[in-house]
Amino acid sequence: MVLELQKPRPIWQIMFSTHHTDVGLLYTITSIAFFFMGGALALGIRAELFLPGTQIISDSMTFNRMFTVHGTAMIFLFLLPFASGVGNYFVPIMVRYKDMAYPKLNAVAFWMIPPAGALIWLGFADFTWYATPPYSAIRAPGPAADMWIFAQKILGVSSVLGAINFIVTILKCKHPDLPLSKVPLLAWSFLSASLIIIVAVPTFAAALVMLLTDRLGVSGFFDPAKGGDPIAYQHLFWFTFHPEVYVLVIPAIGMMYEIIPRFSRKPIFSQSSGIFAFVMLSIVSFSSWAHHMYATGMSFTEKTVFMIGTLAAVPASGMHVFNFIATMWGGRIKFATPMMWAVGGIALFFSAGAGGVANAAMPFDFITHDSYWVVGHFHLFVMGTIAFGSIGFLYYMFPYITGRMYNETWGKIHFIMSFAGTVMVFFTQHVLGLYGMPRRVYDYQPYPEYIVMNQIASVGAMIIGVSMVIWLINMIYSAGKGKEANMDDPWGLGGKYYFPYQAKNPHH
Amino acid sequence: MDKTIALMLVLTILVVLPTVQLVFAAGTDAHEYVNRKIEIWNLFFKMMTIAFTVGAVVSGTLIWLVWRFRESNPNAKPTKYEGTDW
Repeated sequence: MVLELQKPRPIWQIMFSTHHTDVGLLYTITSIAFFFMGGALALGIRAELFLPGTQIISDSMTFNRMFTVHGTAMIFLFLLPFASGVGNYFVPIMVRYKDMAYPKLNAVAFWMIPPAGALIWLGFADFTWYATPPYSAIRAPGPAADMWIFAQKILGVSSVLGAINFIVTILKCKHPDLPLSKVPLLAWSFLSASLIIIVAVPTFAAALVMLLTDRLGVSGFFDPAKGGDPIAYQHLFWFTFHPEVYVLVIPAIGMMYEIIPRFSRKPIFSQSSGIFAFVMLSIVSFSSWAHHMYATGMSFTEKTVFMIGTLAAVPASGMHVFNFIATMWGGRIKFATPMMWAVGGIALFFSAGAGGVANAAMPFDFITHDSYWVVGHFHLFVMGTIAFGSIGFLYYMFPYITGRMYNETWGKIHFIMSFAGTVMVFFTQHVLGLYGMPRRVYDYQPYPEYIVMNQIASVGAMIIGVSMVIWLINMIYSAGKGKEANMDDPWGLGGKYYFPYQAKNPHH
Repeated sequence: MDKTIALMLVLTILVVLPTVQLVFAAGTDAHEYVNRKIEIWNLFFKMMTIAFTVGAVVSGTLIWLVWRFRESNPNAKPTKYEGTDW
């Protein structure tokens, strides 16, 4: 059994451990801490936008700093480390190996995250989460901007080390009796995401060095006054960060693949189509980066190629949705908290995907570019799909980690409030974008439509905020005083198949 | 399974090819015969028609499925996998 909190140990034993479950626990707790910090900034942003004019944030620079750190924290300090935490816990168990391939490297990869987080939060840069030049290269105030750049370098190295570890663990350390095609889809999702990281991240690493030397005044890669090209940065950035979207979403889909069959009391409809769709997504993730840049003056042919490249992700995404539906079909579904989050995540994944298809069409993109439509669209992905999958999986892992059950009623209340809040915030932001409200604005015109929709979005955000506080209390209280879980069957699903991989893994 | 993949490939090609030929048909000359603005908006409306139709079918299926196969539904039956080590 892998029960981290059932047999209490001094905290330093966990902190300095290289065992995969300890490192997984550190990743998970750290990422949740950053989630709440980043979420607090989001609530500040929504409170400011509740009405036109200045509300609680004194100036636009502070507002810019807040949404920059919010975005950076949520993507790099919550979603990515959380996925790594899940992978650390489950991948070695699923491939029937005693630990990750390189345990010390694994711990090093984790311990790069806290200093990087400190640089981001103490610097509090203001140039958005993608550090847009020429502003970032010429004028963004230091040392905040430089601290952000160094933090990204550290996080990039951490990601690459983690990715190498996952790839080697899955491909080289899996049990000889376990064919790759039978490796569970959650582990496959980490293999796919890790391969994307290895290919994508070095490009951004190069862009960061160029940006830093531009800031130091020794080069002018992105400075038009020195003959540089800010658009080149956008290409380098999006070549890394469009695939990075898939690095985030693929493990979340893998988590859903773990939850949905368990609570439907049926095996996955098609393991091979899930693998095929993961591999397809990994490949096509590199064919669509410039759809973020339709408005930068690319030729018609280039735009059409990237439009088709973007749409190429649709069949693979559709295969996952079909697989989920077919798995649930004919099952006897228990809507415990993890299943509610997973099904809610699928519904929002589909909605976010439909918005993405619409936005991939360049005439529509010209209307929605840099508007609140885009904010609504990507938040529906990162919150509605990735965070929903992740939170659902944390509920699923909870008895596994603690040996205790969370409070089911409060878990369901958490889901219902978060789902309602997510729809209120991000669906409304789509419409707000169609009405022409630009993104990244500290203030807006007092049009009645803008005011009403911003207020709906802000109320939705507050509902999500309250639900997350309920979640936090539920997790902390239940970890210490929750009912002891029946470890063979924590949700009463009627079979000893809760930890099937563990039963077959002699190391655990 | 192979048939499903083959069908997916054929459907993908059927959708992608007409779109790709548009790229080759569109030249850069002043007197080009393809009105790119009209073509691209047409494509957009076609995509929207497909997206909303598929969206309605998938969302409707998901809602029905959640209602029909929940364990508290009177028609719910145990699956053949329950109690086994699948």
